[in-house]
Amino acid sequence: MNFKKLSILAIAAGLFITSCSDDDQKEKSLGDYDNGLLILNQGNFGGGNSSISFWSDDLLTFQLNAFSAVNPSIELGDTGQDIGFLNEKAFVVMNNSNSIQVINRYTLQHITTISSGLSNPRNITFSNGKGYVTNWGSGMNPNDDYIAVINLTNYTVISSIPVVEGPEKIIEHNDNLYVAHQGGFGFGETISVINTTNNTVSNTINVGYVPNSMFISNNTLYVLSGGLPSWSGNESGGKLSKINLSTNNVASSLDFGSTQHPSNLVEEDGQLYYTIDSDVYKASITTTSLPTTPIFSTTAQGVYGVYSFTVEDNKIYVGDAVDYNSNGKIYIYSLNGSLIDQQTVGVIPAGFYFND
Amino acid sequence: MTWKFLFCGLALLLFQFVLGQNDSIVRLQEVVVSDSKLRKFSDAQQVVFLNDSILLKNNGSFTNLLLLHSTIYFKENGAGMVASPSFRGTTAQQTAVIWNGININSQLNGQTDFNTINATDFNSIGIRSGGGSVLYGSGAVGGSIHLNNLLMFNTEIEHEFRSNYGSFNTLGLNYNVKGGSEKWAFQVGITRNSSDNDYEYIGRNRKNENGEYYNQSLNFSAGYKINENNFLKFYSLLFDGERHFSGTITVTSKNKYQDFTTRNMLEWVSFRNKFTSKLKLAYLTEEYNYFENKDNPFFTFGKVNTLLGRYDLSIKVSEKIDLNSVFDISQNQGEGSDIESKKRTIGSGSLVWKHQLSEKWNYELGIRNEISDRYESPLLFSAGTRLNLNDFYTIKFNASKNYRIPTFNDLYWQGSGNAELKPEHALQAEIGQEFNYKNTKLTVTGYYVKLRDMLRWIPNSSGLWQPQNTDKVTVYGLETLLENKLTFGNHHFSLNASYAYTISERDDLKKQLIYVPIHKANGSLAYSYQKITAYFQTLFNGEVFTSSDNFYSLDSYHFSTIGVDYDFGKKNTYRLGFQVLNLENTNYQNVASRPMPGRHFQVYLTLNLK
Repeated sequence: MNFKKLSILAIAAGLFITSCSDDDQKEKSLGDYDNGLLILNQGNFGGGNSSISFWSDDLLTFQLNAFSAVNPSIELGDTGQDIGFLNEKAFVVMNNSNSIQVINRYTLQHITTISSGLSNPRNITFSNGKGYVTNWGSGMNPNDDYIAVINLTNYTVISSIPVVEGPEKIIEHNDNLYVAHQGGFGFGETISVINTTNNTVSNTINVGYVPNSMFISNNTLYVLSGGLPSWSGNESGGKLSKINLSTNNVASSLDFGSTQHPSNLVEEDGQLYYTIDSDVYKASITTTSLPTTPIFSTTAQGVYGVYSFTVEDNKIYVGDAVDYNSNGKIYIYSLNGSLIDQQTVGVIPAGFYFND
Repeated sequence: MTWKFLFCGLALLLFQFVLGQNDSIVRLQEVVVSDSKLRKFSDAQQVVFLNDSILLKNNGSFTNLLLLHSTIYFKENGAGMVASPSFRGTTAQQTAVIWNGININSQLNGQTDFNTINATDFNSIGIRSGGGSVLYGSGAVGGSIHLNNLLMFNTEIEHEFRSNYGSFNTLGLNYNVKGGSEKWAFQVGITRNSSDNDYEYIGRNRKNENGEYYNQSLNFSAGYKINENNFLKFYSLLFDGERHFSGTITVTSKNKYQDFTTRNMLEWVSFRNKFTSKLKLAYLTEEYNYFENKDNPFFTFGKVNTLLGRYDLSIKVSEKIDLNSVFDISQNQGEGSDIESKKRTIGSGSLVWKHQLSEKWNYELGIRNEISDRYESPLLFSAGTRLNLNDFYTIKFNASKNYRIPTFNDLYWQGSGNAELKPEHALQAEIGQEFNYKNTKLTVTGYYVKLRDMLRWIPNSSGLWQPQNTDKVTVYGLETLLENKLTFGNHHFSLNASYAYTISERDDLKKQLIYVPIHKANGSLAYSYQKITAYFQTLFNGEVFTSSDNFYSLDSYHFSTIGVDYDFGKKNTYRLGFQVLNLENTNYQNVASRPMPGRHFQVYLTLNLK
């Protein structure tokens, strides 16, 4: 299916395409949505209006509601939280729907829905041929949080690994899972290490309060914690922890100012990037001190707190939830902060996923 | 300002012992109804009372009753779930609900959920359009809804039993008894409603899950005549309900929500010459429990107890002039799992003046000031006039300043409440015209409202959501009401129709507020012949936007109710009826992602014994 056909389909479905072209498809395209960026729009909690937008790498083709255009009779769901890629499949975690939509990442064709065994699912990763999904359980219950283990052949939850409250981000490295306990309704301060050969928690690492983002580089786990927010009544600043994965010990940590609450830690080409409120910061991953000035601020674009963020191929991507009710915005900047392009996406852009 | 009011009130008190003459008709009204201002000081505005025949045809949902018989729009989170009114394009917090003269909007969220009130608990329901804060306080911006229990002395004892049963195992039971002697008047009612509420989502091969509910309410009112000049009255209303909050197209819900409210009021009415004084003492409680997962014992709660005292003195200054002063003081004590425990005290004084310039022309003036230990309130006023040019044509003009105070949730939500909030306020004006011809009445009202300091929860740069006095909104629109009664021999027809055109825009965006339809219309036609009654009621709800950029919207829809009943009784009434709701089987959503029921049925039986 080329984009012309697709656009006819989209219009027929009452959907919206801002531009389309049929002459720029790459030689080895694996589908209409190859060589581009998928934006997961969370939608409103309870609103059932989660969506996936697509923007091609050359920035010439954009589609607001790509999933619906391909699957007009299927609702994506409520409160899209995360997308995990494995081979040609994408696993879209729908928090409030308690489900995972399994789709083809290049065509966005719906394959199946995993709808049992999940309770407040948050994020997904893969290890040893299985999927691992963090689950809060009932938000009010601090003792029912777990990691759901998914059989990727028949798409069922086959077991669960109990963990402490509020498991959020999850990454895999050498048959180990690292789960950041952001805290759910409370405030967490640990990373659980799970061995995926036997699916048990093998270690717990203390980091700062509210660990919200992390990455692994050179056998080192970098964890960014936001600190306790002002409304907790016991405000504390954020912390960047570097953990040696051979020993699972914190090798070093850097403290932010007592009212600074950083988030969105990512790594690109030996540099780490993060945001505080509307500002974007950068430092070498080997740094021993934190930068005092941002590389740029997104306030010029009217961004009021960076909602989603990543760095890819020398470009910085910022998602703005605007008023959390209208369509959101995404902005693409060069590494020094000059605006390259912008786009109106679905409601509350929550994450960027590159189909390259 | 407040001191001036106090002084005024004292002066009036002194007058009370000096002047003198009785007016038995006025007196009767004051005794029968607790909210006598509704008729006395609303000449320049529109007040519509839902009559018995309308109330009798409504079984169960108060929300549907108002949807079909007023210009008020409701945002209902699925059938039977939280229903928030929007009157003249304003918010649910800007619609005041007045129970026997006192404001009963929730202190926690500022609004009244119309699925937590049973219409059968009241024998008079009035709808007053437009500003009314001078008379009714916070929230009377778009309009107010008045729930009254009338007390009649010297009447026979009358029993009424109502029941209805229909689709989705929906059951309603209500028993009412009222009567009065020379010395006593009383009225007692008990209501129970329940439903599995598991209707099909049309075209989706699934049902409304986790939507079941039940509620029960008890109301009791009594009046005692101490002597010719002194009456005691007591009003009580208890409501207890539990709803499982239903899911959406994409969410299976496990939520459960419980409401428990009590309202008690003691009133002493005293007549002395030209003066009528009323002393009211009320104690209101509200409480909710929210279970995220109904199978778990974990829940969050909020509760507020309110103690209210009010002194209301009216004086017939002359044949043509009425003056009314009211002082009230209320104290709210709130606590909850998510709000800080706080107490707040609010005192207010108001003065209303009505002057009948001639038989056909009058005007009203009012002023109110409020003091609180938590925030500063604006000085409120109202001014209105009504001129009956002739039998055919009446014109009304009214302007007022009204307000809505921040709620406990706004002020004291743990971590994000904003104690610096000011009340929202609105300056508004309206012109109403009334045309009467034989048995036909047409009313056309145009209005304009400027809302300022509107509260909205917005995230700050670090993602913390806090309420702020941020928005400016301009609302204007048109309300049209048509009433017609026709009789040919034994054939009686009555026709009611209304249409509301509403533009409600945030000044910065120039976009319609979400969940405010630009067009809403309804109509009902009833026909009766001897003991048989047939009726048809229909609603058109225009498109509503669901996002503030007006990019997303819900389609317009219409649906109708058709019904017929027959009275088997002779002296007493034994009325058996049948109705079809959503006759067209319209697949519609009132709130995004929450389909509403398709065609469904109900039988009802009403017994009236004297």
